[in-house]
Amino acid sequence: DTGELCLQSAQCKSSCCHRTSGLSLARCAPKAAEFQECSPKSLYGVYYKCPCESGLSCDVDKTIVGSITNSDFGTC
Amino acid sequence: MLGTWILALFLLKAAEGKEVCFERLGCFSDDLPWSGTTERPVYKLPWDPKKIDIHFHLYTRENQNDPQEVFPADVSTIESSNFNASRITRFIVHGFIDRGEESWLSDMCERMLSVEDVNCICVGWKRGARCQYTQASNNVRVVGAEIAYFIKVLMEEYDYSPADVHIIGHSLGAHVAGEAGKRQPGIGRITGLDPAQPYFQGTPAEVRLDKSDAEFVDVIHTDTAPTIPNLGFGMSPAVGHLDFYPNGGKQMPGCGKNPVSQIIDLDGIWEGTRDFMACNHLRSYKYYSDSIIYPDGFLGYSCASYELFESGNCFPCPKEGCPNMGHYADKFKGKIDSGFLKLYLNTGEAKDFPLWRYKVTVTLSGKSKVKGYVNIALYGSDGNTRQHRIFKGTLRPSNTYTGFIDAEVDVGTVTKVKFLWNNHQINPTFPKIGAETITVQSGQNGTEYHFCGSEDVREDVLQTLTPC
Repeated sequence: DTGELCLQSAQCKSSCCHRTSGLSLARCAPKAAEFQECSPKSLYGVYYKCPCESGLSCDVDKTIVGSITNSDFGTC
Repeated sequence: MLGTWILALFLLKAAEGKEVCFERLGCFSDDLPWSGTTERPVYKLPWDPKKIDIHFHLYTRENQNDPQEVFPADVSTIESSNFNASRITRFIVHGFIDRGEESWLSDMCERMLSVEDVNCICVGWKRGARCQYTQASNNVRVVGAEIAYFIKVLMEEYDYSPADVHIIGHSLGAHVAGEAGKRQPGIGRITGLDPAQPYFQGTPAEVRLDKSDAEFVDVIHTDTAPTIPNLGFGMSPAVGHLDFYPNGGKQMPGCGKNPVSQIIDLDGIWEGTRDFMACNHLRSYKYYSDSIIYPDGFLGYSCASYELFESGNCFPCPKEGCPNMGHYADKFKGKIDSGFLKLYLNTGEAKDFPLWRYKVTVTLSGKSKVKGYVNIALYGSDGNTRQHRIFKGTLRPSNTYTGFIDAEVDVGTVTKVKFLWNNHQINPTFPKIGAETITVQSGQNGTEYHFCGSEDVREDVLQTLTPC
């Protein structure tokens, strides 16, 4: 559930395991609504910004550095 | 033989009743109904006020961060403080195990001072609250008497009207407020934040918080399950003029987390441990605190039960509006007739807690029926919501489905709606379903907004509906 600790997005009902910084603990969080900040689906399983809700896409300029450090952010 | 004698002696002693008297505050006995009833079996006398160690910490706009300590017995401490008799005075009283220095009390003062000019006084009685529960629930009487004495001093020295006093009490503190109101008639308002259940529920009105204790009594119930066996700490019967039962009053959202997630809280380990021990019970002051800065985010719908409220029977607010839970409940002071008014609403699962309720009616269009769910997102002049599921089951074209959205943002005037359906199954025929019309009704004022759609969409595709 939202607010519970997680290691992987697959553990969360919302399928977003979110942490605010590289050092903080990750917790389940709701997906991003339209006009909110987001990141595209990544392989890391833990996000700094959650992916968008269904039907929306994360509008983002992908860069190589960004996709490695999981810091490509955009808006839904 | 000896045993019966001892027993008889005990009974005699109990029947006589003991009494303690304190300077300024008067006498306290353990006679009925204070002890010896089924609700209060253990005989206990309240402690000396010195032993309870009662403190009054004053916060005003002049000193928002460093409180001034005032003593009711010494008027010069009030005179030399920033206390201003032309302002309203709000007391905040904590409950069992808690202490006056706990940050929620001063945070609540800080929020109040950001919206109004008041004398905010945090009442601490740490030592009297950190002892056996039976003792603490009797110490309540002395703390209540001390607050009543404080108000009396204000009346005598400043010609202060008790109608300008508001006492906010959490848990045992709610009964402290009740005791103060009983001793000093005419107090303007008492707010009970989940009044404590053991030793108070089912007792006569003079023992507990009751609507007779002040001109206006509003109560927030967040932990009303029975203490045995469910460990609910709050009272379930309605005792005030307005009784709010957010989320039904028994189980608060966000309180069902696993222990590790609960204790390692975003607000720190201490806050998390407090929530681990009594999450539901502590939600009451968190809602109150949020209500100070979100006046219309906690509207209480008058309803016979939470189940009826959930199924939409008590929607929208009546013409005169819904009472606000929390800080602004006194807008309804005097508008309520006798009897008890139970009010229901939903809140968020983490801070910020306010939610705005909308009713959504969707008429579907399309050719084939499918199984799945319907999500709706609202867009308005002040922002947009997440997608909320309003229905799950078989979706039949031209049928109408109704659901409720507790939106996490106040969208203002609704300008458009987005519709999405999904069933998480790949269907080779790629069925298309759309929303022909959607009606959104705001709970706050009953305004209806109508939207029309012209197309059908595949699953997981957003359909935008415009006003019509």
